[in-house]
Amino acid sequence: MTVTAPAETVIRVRDVRKAYGDVRAVDGVSFAVEAGEIFGLLGPNGAGKTTTVEMLEGLRKPDGGALEILGIDAVHQPDALKERIGVTLQTAELYPKLTVVEVLDLFRSFYRRTLPTAQLIEFLDLGERSKALTRQLSGGQRQRLAVALALVNDPEVVFLDEPTTGLDPAARRSLWDLIERLRAQGKTILLTTHYMEEAEHLCDRLAIMDHGRILEMGSPSELVDRRFRERAIRFDSIAGIDDAELARLPAVSSLKHDGETTWLYTGDVPATIAALLALSEARGVEPENLTIRKATLEDVFLDLTGRGLRD
Amino acid sequence: MRALRAMTIANMRGYVRDRQALFWTLAFPLIFVFLFGSIFGGGSGSRTVAWVDEDGTPAAAALRAAFAAVPGVKLVDLDRATALEKMKSGDNSGVIVVPKGYADIVAAAATDPSRQVAVTFYVDPSQQSDSAFMAAYVSGVLAQVNLGQKPVAVTSHAETIQTAQLNGVSYLVPSILGMALMQTGIFAAIPLVADRQKLILKRLAATPLKRWQLIGSNVIMRLVIALVQFVLIVGVGVFAFNVKIVGSLLVIAGLAVLGSLAFTSLGYVIASLAKTEEAANGMTSAVQFPLMFLSGTFWPISLMPDFLQAVARFLPLTYLSDALRQVMVGGSAYAPLGVCVAILAGWTVLCFGFAARRFQWQ
Repeated sequence: MTVTAPAETVIRVRDVRKAYGDVRAVDGVSFAVEAGEIFGLLGPNGAGKTTTVEMLEGLRKPDGGALEILGIDAVHQPDALKERIGVTLQTAELYPKLTVVEVLDLFRSFYRRTLPTAQLIEFLDLGERSKALTRQLSGGQRQRLAVALALVNDPEVVFLDEPTTGLDPAARRSLWDLIERLRAQGKTILLTTHYMEEAEHLCDRLAIMDHGRILEMGSPSELVDRRFRERAIRFDSIAGIDDAELARLPAVSSLKHDGETTWLYTGDVPATIAALLALSEARGVEPENLTIRKATLEDVFLDLTGRGLRD
Repeated sequence: MRALRAMTIANMRGYVRDRQALFWTLAFPLIFVFLFGSIFGGGSGSRTVAWVDEDGTPAAAALRAAFAAVPGVKLVDLDRATALEKMKSGDNSGVIVVPKGYADIVAAAATDPSRQVAVTFYVDPSQQSDSAFMAAYVSGVLAQVNLGQKPVAVTSHAETIQTAQLNGVSYLVPSILGMALMQTGIFAAIPLVADRQKLILKRLAATPLKRWQLIGSNVIMRLVIALVQFVLIVGVGVFAFNVKIVGSLLVIAGLAVLGSLAFTSLGYVIASLAKTEEAANGMTSAVQFPLMFLSGTFWPISLMPDFLQAVARFLPLTYLSDALRQVMVGGSAYAPLGVCVAILAGWTVLCFGFAARRFQWQ
């Protein structure tokens, strides 16, 4: 965990709203991000994450509310803002007929203050592909180039919209490393994701969004602990045992069904398991795929919205 | 300025690496020049020359025999007025006139070396291949006739007239330049729509790059391509097919720039209306082909049926090609040059205005 120092607020969002016709894409969102944090917006597709971020980037105008980054009003001073932020969008396809170096140099020409191309290429480990056309890059390399383009002006704040969507696990890991190295350089990062592990792995703090609203905010462990002091016992639902019986098992505080899976939340795993096994044996059945784990953001999300993240 | 230059260079790289764009804007028009150039320009087959004998003597008949002896030339006997009329309508390559008193002067020249008689021939300088042929034909035959006579008794004198129809290549080179400028311009729509669809325009909007820099870089790139087309097409016309450029190169280049702007602005109108790259492709073709065939590119507008002539009157390429033909090869005017320029300028302003209002950036 990062050492808590008197932090300066870098991003301030207050009661921001944006509607498209009847759809309230963002419906009264407020949050603040401190300098040097990785802050995540976690939620399913259509939750309003991207709309929120694009308003912060000066790409969309809010219907109401205030957005301030580095003391700059994102609504009224977008030009001043754009010099000092870095951005990746969800699609990372950029100028298929230009090479990596050419695209970097092109973007460098837009800013007053820039990092050398060679340094960016080295930092993003794109050296071998620097002369390749961008359309020849793999998905992971393309995403790293997109991050490199977000860094050409050495920004203090970086926005990453779904940075690892569509990447294979190895490419995702390597991008996570990269984002952590950015934090180590002191950059403030706001990312959106619908991957629970990503939010858990990277974010110092996060906001869970659904239907244009923030449901809960805090560090990943706070979010889990706030709702679940217990551990979760998971097994395939058993037809012969009803919920009332499960709820009466020792130390069980709550239970949930997610499809064909049953979750028991308990303060005393051995006692609950022993009783569950005894009950199953008495009925002549056996709990299949029995696992025990600490509650995660997935559980938090399920608890908040009544559905899984990847619907 | 730095961003504008970098953006222009990036656009140029994208263009040079796009084989399809290269083909349509550079190779395609050159293929037309070569194709039509070899069909119309080679001077193969026989030429018809009108023979006007205003002397009517045996000496004049002897001269006619010398001219008729050249293979590949067909002499047609006519009076001067008819001969010039027929030349104007393109029926003969030139007119040769033997003046009254020819025999007398030739006879007198035998004793008095100061006497000379000039045979007049009519050419149209804009018909490069015909006029070059006539000059060579007349001087070649007269050199034989005068052989052994010192000093020379029969000389020649060239008169120029303007014929209604340009010969094939002279007509086509300006037309094809116009067509190529049109294609380069309206093809501006496709990369712009593609960049919007791929969210490249949105990504650029998140940088300090200004919209005028983005559009400016696009326009500059189109102008550079227009200049390359101008050099290539005019160069091939002049050096491979002997097209004679009668107007100022600066004026022609100015017209090329104006034409390029007019059709780039039309490209932006297409980009404002098309939602997808496929739609932009379709609309570009839908605009390109009628313009190509109805604007007098391959045949004069006066040869088309009346209802198509009415359509041609509203097509901007009609005025660009007409202006280029007037200035480059002295072609007859469909509309006065000033009118052509005014129409193209007005068209440019209207289209840019429409696109500025209607283009969706995201």
